[in-house]
Amino acid sequence: MKALSLYQDRGTVVHRVDSRSKLLYILSAILIPAVLPGFMPGLAMLALSILILATGKVFGKVLPLVGFSLLILASIVLIQGLFYSGNKQLLFSLWRFGFYREGLLFSGGICLRVMNILCAVSILVLTTRPSDLIESLVRLGLSPHLGYVLSSVLQIIPQMTATMETITDAQRSRGMETEGTLLVRMKAFLPLIGPVVMNSLVSTRERSLALEVRAFSARSKKTFLNPPQGGTANTVIPLVLLLAMAAAIVWRVMQ
Amino acid sequence: MKNSMWNLKLSTSALVLIPAAVGINYIGKLFAGLLKLPLWLDSIGTVLSAMLAGPVVGAICGAINNIIYGLTMDPISFIYALTSIGIGLAVGVLAQKGRVNSIGGAVVVGLVAAVVSTLISTPINIGFWGGQTGNVWGDLVYAGMVAHHFPVWIASLTDEFIVDVPDKIATVIVAYGIYKGLPQKLTILFRHDSVTEQL
Repeated sequence: MKALSLYQDRGTVVHRVDSRSKLLYILSAILIPAVLPGFMPGLAMLALSILILATGKVFGKVLPLVGFSLLILASIVLIQGLFYSGNKQLLFSLWRFGFYREGLLFSGGICLRVMNILCAVSILVLTTRPSDLIESLVRLGLSPHLGYVLSSVLQIIPQMTATMETITDAQRSRGMETEGTLLVRMKAFLPLIGPVVMNSLVSTRERSLALEVRAFSARSKKTFLNPPQGGTANTVIPLVLLLAMAAAIVWRVMQ
Repeated sequence: MKNSMWNLKLSTSALVLIPAAVGINYIGKLFAGLLKLPLWLDSIGTVLSAMLAGPVVGAICGAINNIIYGLTMDPISFIYALTSIGIGLAVGVLAQKGRVNSIGGAVVVGLVAAVVSTLISTPINIGFWGGQTGNVWGDLVYAGMVAHHFPVWIASLTDEFIVDVPDKIATVIVAYGIYKGLPQKLTILFRHDSVTEQL
């Protein structure tokens, strides 16, 4: 079945690292630049993330994700550059507007932080199969029931999108207007979403019966389909990341 | 109390409601985009599930919604899971107390949801984006207020609030309209006050 996911199957070294290491990497990519002062730690971390993404052959897929946030980042640079409350030193002027050094530095910091988090999360999202991620979360102690809920969402959304297209076509063929003034478009919202929602809620009843019949809420211990991923890399990487985070915090406290 | 709305033990029907609700959130956002409405309408499912099954399921829906968004579209939305959890809790409590019983009640609950959402989102917006929300109208107000030397937190609070109020009120009204139309054999599955009859 088609499932909602950004996963890219490229079979590189990065893909074989288990998701626990990648989750720890996200944590360190956020924590280390936040703990250490200046722009350098953030830039170094960003360079490392880009290197990993390139090794995983998924760098091209990061750009649409970054594009999602680019507009708001651009507006932050604009607004903070012009109006940041600490603005003192005029850097350059465009037409009638003056851009200030403090505001641009402040917004630069925000951009760097956002890019850092985006790239680190992308490593996880683009190179890990969602079902593998959920399985390793369950191994780490997430309730198997919630694990089911998470993987169920990934399958239900494409289903509902398909229903949505059917309903839109059906309502249009009955002459419902979906374009025009704001009032017309607002009126169209409920007849469009209503049937999709009713459909999905009615099917929850059947789904819960089907699950119960298969002993979904049985209390016995659940087993896993796949054996846990082993290997030296999957013990060394978490260890190195934990040490790096500890070192950053210790260094900061000593300062 | 066995049938309290804070019961953390989730029934199978409540668990199955969660994926459907997250799907509804997603569809709401898609339809709002399709019809070019100036609102997000991306929490209808969270609100609906909170009305049906109470604050705990509402909060879990909110959290899972943002986790899935983060995994499949925009990694930044992980952090806003806190806002979604708050909306689910607030609407769930009010609905279980019977406040969502008319359009007027829905408007009041929408307003409360907007206040909760603003209070949780603003610190995140300030910490993460320097105070902006990414919505054109809200950010214009923000720029104007910062230019007139208002403190950042007031500008950011206003920015978020004026975007959230119409959005959350519309969301709760839509969810209420759907809730009213649901057959009783469905709503009864998720209720907490149901009493088992003994023969």
